[in-house]
Amino acid sequence: MMKVGDYEVKEGVYYTKKHEWARVSDDVVLVGITDYAQQALGEITFIDIRGDAGPVNVGDTLKRGDKYAEVESHKAVEDVFTPIGGIILEINESLQDAPNTINDDPYGAGWILKIKAEDIDSQLKELLDADAYAEVLKSEAE
Amino acid sequence: MVEYKTTHLYDWHKKHASAMHEFAGYMMPIRYSGINEEHLAVRHAVGIFDVTHMGRFHFRGERAAEFANYMTTNDVGRLNENAAQYTLICNEKGGIIDDCIVYYRASDWIYIVVNAGNKVKDLAWFKKHAPKFGVTVEDVSDQVPNFAVQGPKAEATLQKLTDIDLSAPKFFSAISGKLAGYDVIMGRTGYTGEDGFEISQFSVPLDKPDDAVDLWHKILEAGEEFGIKPCGLGARDTLRLEAALPLHGNDITEEITPLEARLRTWVKFKSQGDFIGRAALEKQKEEGVPRYRIGLLMPGRRAPRPHNKLIIDDEVVGEVTSGTLSPVCQRGIGLGYVKREYKDVEEIFVDIRGTLEKAKALKPSSKVMLTKIKELEVR
Repeated sequence: MMKVGDYEVKEGVYYTKKHEWARVSDDVVLVGITDYAQQALGEITFIDIRGDAGPVNVGDTLKRGDKYAEVESHKAVEDVFTPIGGIILEINESLQDAPNTINDDPYGAGWILKIKAEDIDSQLKELLDADAYAEVLKSEAE
Repeated sequence: MVEYKTTHLYDWHKKHASAMHEFAGYMMPIRYSGINEEHLAVRHAVGIFDVTHMGRFHFRGERAAEFANYMTTNDVGRLNENAAQYTLICNEKGGIIDDCIVYYRASDWIYIVVNAGNKVKDLAWFKKHAPKFGVTVEDVSDQVPNFAVQGPKAEATLQKLTDIDLSAPKFFSAISGKLAGYDVIMGRTGYTGEDGFEISQFSVPLDKPDDAVDLWHKILEAGEEFGIKPCGLGARDTLRLEAALPLHGNDITEEITPLEARLRTWVKFKSQGDFIGRAALEKQKEEGVPRYRIGLLMPGRRAPRPHNKLIIDDEVVGEVTSGTLSPVCQRGIGLGYVKREYKDVEEIFVDIRGTLEKAKALKPSSKVMLTKIKELEVR
């Protein structure tokens, strides 16, 4: 784990500029929001797995960049977009009772979706590695 | 670089807060250990807030009390030096310019605490009307550190720092004397729904903040055995919402009257003489109030948010003005307004970003809403 200011960046994980991450093993991908994103939100009070067209379920297909959740804190609601497209294999149901798991462990137990990716290699080319994401955080601090 | 103002505790906050943000021109702590933890400390034990960003004015002059009475809806005539009151500042149309606390110090000296975000506007409003009464208005906001100590252990915490018997003063008493050796006025008041005190420390210049920092530390030490927590503006907002206390700018505005906000208790038509807004409010009382404030309790964690529509039988009957997750019952809660005929409705739908959620509608009072929320407490 490296740190940029107050924010942790996990190595070996892919990122977007919108502070989402994807952890890949073969063609199965876990996605979530970064430490920066959770700190900016503050304590997360609720996560609604919901896209523009309504609730999102296991078996649905998402395209890279689709909105798939709304994350709420006491004061704010933020949309969350998937960094990787594919079929949803699993939704982290434990977040319904304990959404603040995302605050406690954003890159681990706070994962949100498990996705079976399509054409993973070409999708990963569009994402940032840890070093590139760290640069994004540094430029946001300026 | 954006310029912002600071309070005496700025360096302490910078060291201890996990999030700070500009609020009403001041760089203020939003949270320290976390909104939930701070919130529950106030509900079950005690918490301390730096609220020095609030506006504090002295009205001075022979007719100071009369002036305060004319500018506010409550009856200053009911006060003496041992009492404070919640009151409203209205415009000629009866719209709420601000809500505030008035302390009667003497017939020629009133001390008034207003909202941070309305400080400049209120000062101009007071100064506009003061000459007619020969009264001067002095802004002492930056020389009077203001701390709120709130929760069931607030009294026990502060009792360790003063010889004044704090068990005697009732809610809305004003207590003058020494706290940890410093001259203070304490109101048995607050914005949390719990017992507590709001402390004004006279007088500490902003560039020599040591006495304020020392008092803050002494209160933290005194409350340590009870698990006192420093609390930020985040917990202040969730606490006041559980208690259905309105926030000016959200739940009450210059377009909303005290009758609509169901703050009628603090408008004294009978005992009060003339006050700004009186005629308009009497007219509204006669003709009927078009809408009323209600409290909202959701079935789950999804929170109502400002401007979400309130719906009954497919008709939009009102709008949400504030909302969050209740840390006590872990459900969404909020405040809003409905057309008058739905004032006492028990169920209402909230359109949250396109889906309708069924909410319980509650009377917007601490007694009703906070009691209900505490019954549903998730431990």
